[in-house]
Amino acid sequence: MSVYKLNMEQLRNWVGRLIAERPVYGVRQKDERFVFGRLKKPEELRLDYDVTILPPKKYILPTRENLLAYQPGEHYESLWADEPFVLLGVHPYDFVAIRQLDLLFEREKPDEHYLRRRRAATIIVADVERASDNVFAGCVGTAVVKDAFDGLLTRVEDGYLLEVRGEKGEWLASLLESPSPANAAELSRRNDVWENNRRRLRKHELKVPPEQLGDLLRRSVDHPLWEEKARLCYSCGSCNLVCPTCYCFDVRDESDWSLDKGVRYRVWDGCLLEDFAMVAGGHNFRPTRAARYRHRYYRKGLYVPEMIGELACVGCGRCITACTAGIANPVEVYNRLQEEPHEDDAAE
Amino acid sequence: MGKPRVAIFDFACCEGCQLQIANLDEDLLNLIELVEPVEWREAMSEKAGQIDVAIVEGSITRAEDEQRLKEIRQRAEILMALGSCATHGGVNKLRNRVPLEEAQRIVYGASAGMPHLQSGQVKAVHEVVPVDLKIYGCPIEITEFSRIIRELAAGRTPFVPNYPVCVECKLRENVCRYEYNEICLGPVTRAGCNARCPSNGMWCFGCRGPVDHPNINAAYDVMAKYGKTVEDLVGKLELFCSGEERIRG
Amino acid sequence: MRTMLQSEEQTLEDIYRPRPATVVRVEDMTRTEKLFELELDSGEPLGHMPGQFVEVSLAGIGEAPISISSSPTRGRRFELVVRRVGSLTRALHHLKPGDKVGIRGPFGTWFPVDTDLRGRDVIFICGGIGLVPVRSAIQYVVDNRTDYGHVFILFGARTPADRLFTDEYEQWCSPGEVTFLETVDKRDARWTGAEGVITTLIPCIRFDPARTVAVICGPPVMYRFVIVGLKERGMAEENIFVSLERRMKCGVGKCGHCQINHIYVCQKGPVFRLSEITDLEEAL
Repeated sequence: MSVYKLNMEQLRNWVGRLIAERPVYGVRQKDERFVFGRLKKPEELRLDYDVTILPPKKYILPTRENLLAYQPGEHYESLWADEPFVLLGVHPYDFVAIRQLDLLFEREKPDEHYLRRRRAATIIVADVERASDNVFAGCVGTAVVKDAFDGLLTRVEDGYLLEVRGEKGEWLASLLESPSPANAAELSRRNDVWENNRRRLRKHELKVPPEQLGDLLRRSVDHPLWEEKARLCYSCGSCNLVCPTCYCFDVRDESDWSLDKGVRYRVWDGCLLEDFAMVAGGHNFRPTRAARYRHRYYRKGLYVPEMIGELACVGCGRCITACTAGIANPVEVYNRLQEEPHEDDAAE
Repeated sequence: MGKPRVAIFDFACCEGCQLQIANLDEDLLNLIELVEPVEWREAMSEKAGQIDVAIVEGSITRAEDEQRLKEIRQRAEILMALGSCATHGGVNKLRNRVPLEEAQRIVYGASAGMPHLQSGQVKAVHEVVPVDLKIYGCPIEITEFSRIIRELAAGRTPFVPNYPVCVECKLRENVCRYEYNEICLGPVTRAGCNARCPSNGMWCFGCRGPVDHPNINAAYDVMAKYGKTVEDLVGKLELFCSGEERIRG
Repeated sequence: MRTMLQSEEQTLEDIYRPRPATVVRVEDMTRTEKLFELELDSGEPLGHMPGQFVEVSLAGIGEAPISISSSPTRGRRFELVVRRVGSLTRALHHLKPGDKVGIRGPFGTWFPVDTDLRGRDVIFICGGIGLVPVRSAIQYVVDNRTDYGHVFILFGARTPADRLFTDEYEQWCSPGEVTFLETVDKRDARWTGAEGVITTLIPCIRFDPARTVAVICGPPVMYRFVIVGLKERGMAEENIFVSLERRMKCGVGKCGHCQINHIYVCQKGPVFRLSEITDLEEAL
């Protein structure tokens, strides 16, 4: 483990050298919000952001990703993207989400399209400087990450500490000019940042211990909350689309004007959308808003945890912000299931 | 099998959707590789007999237009409604909210009595004849139109989204218009425009009409959350979809 | 973008890339169903088990999950019966011998022909195109006839015109000890057989529930009623297998469309042991 101290000028120069070496996707301001985008110069980088509109997973599982090119005669060729790039300034909760996607895309039948982009990514995590309005990472253990990153930036007074790990981390360090190791006092201040973030990234307080969530959900299938909330659900899928751990997708073909050449691509999809479980012929296997609404909370709290052993909500709070109707707060949902046990469920 | 014979017809509208087709530029050449235009007032003078695809733009406002549309329907294998006026009645349908005489007086003043200005209730195309396919928007999205034509030519059912504009808006990482304290119709409006208006600094006007099952009850409830009234919302909804009973909640 | 061949670290196959196959034979079955006999261009057998499905691809149209309707005991070619319901299946119906399709798979679980069914009496209960995947198991059982006890085949179609594989019933029954019963929901002028829903056939057969296994496949509405009918006759949920349709899209447990509660049908299904899914609120 190597931790370096960078003053602001060293940081700027280092980011400049990263940009010269590889495409760097970092956090930039967009109107009053923040987004990950291609950095052209170091000055664009905003490590003091609160949360981005979309999570950085969009560079590993793009919103639209070409999978295959087809030619006449049912000839398909795989399209790969493996150009190395840097993801700069990923908050810990978003990094945890990417690690979960790694498990999900690797398991059983590995998805080489995902994995190649993932291998091409050098990920620099940045500890949260400004808490967003709805973040609750502190409640779900994602306020801080201690491993698996390539680089970790932490703001300490007049500059940043940069910790690097592994081969990609060595490459990151090699681009530092006159690197100076962090001293004990600085490392101690970094610990303070972590402690503080664990405490303060709790704009909503989850009262259900994450490990008990699965059992709570198993008891809550018929809870009236699902109907009550879904009555206001637009089925717009905003909660899905901004979620760093959602990964459902649709696959479509688009031909050029020749009609027999084109690409097969995938696009982000969402289980809240009306036609998500519709089959050819028109039967919809999840036809009600309530069933779709409930499915999302079961995926986060029960179904995906059964697959990977971790809560699939990382507490970024994006869904809470994105839901126009104000019904997508997972903390409120889970807390209420616990506080208002459903009579039928309780009787069992 | 020869190329499908396609004709374009216009009724009460600004002809902006046809103009979008004319604006295809080089792709217009690609388009006529796939289809044979046989009747198109805006671009050619020929008249056709039987046609494979009739593309109908505009809303239907007069008895003689209804008759003409029915004749087109008889000649056409497939009838496609092009743009908001054709799919929903569009902005024209605002007129149905006031008595006809009043509308004529407001618009034409002293000339209101002239015989060529006589017209009736505004109707969408499907209110007069069966419609096989709707291409939404005011104006239509030309990339969507091109894609749908290619999909039809390849023999597949065109993909037309039944999800709200929010989907495309989120994918473009726009700041939600509600965060600007605006009423945006994105949550109830059919996507397919790639969130054009919100991506260019405006709320969604709802020009593509509602998704199959818009949650209008939610929309009404949400108004209170943002300090708006139901009237504020209805005013927005009626611009493009005043004839849609189901959006009245 | 670089292509697969140019990449140095080509480590894994592309789970989304179809294998080319050729249509060998096309047969009209009903107004809406056609049978396609296919062969992989590589010459390999498909390598499937009865009850599995493939994703059939036509470039520019897309993919659709289709049950395999022939048994692997019938050689390296395989058969699909395709109902015309959407874009892809409509396009498939235009194909002629010699035309190409893309194939991914086989995917999913299969009827336990080599385990639970073996040595026992078997009831196949099929509604409409539910007979399509089950035919693969029927052929398998017929081709290994001595491995199984008495075989009951109960088939219900909407009308006489919707019956499938009519010229094969005789062959299915020829090894003996096969009871074949069918009914139609709505008879026509020429139909002299039974009329009524498929559940009316269950009381017509005599079986010992302790040594019998049932396989059910049909439209979504059918399952509940057939299961009730079998349970009334003493069948345990452990001995009932169902094949469930969902929107299997990627076929590899990623895209999420086919989920029933926590289960990806394309991975843990489409064939389930009933006792494993009775708790799943979204299953039946």
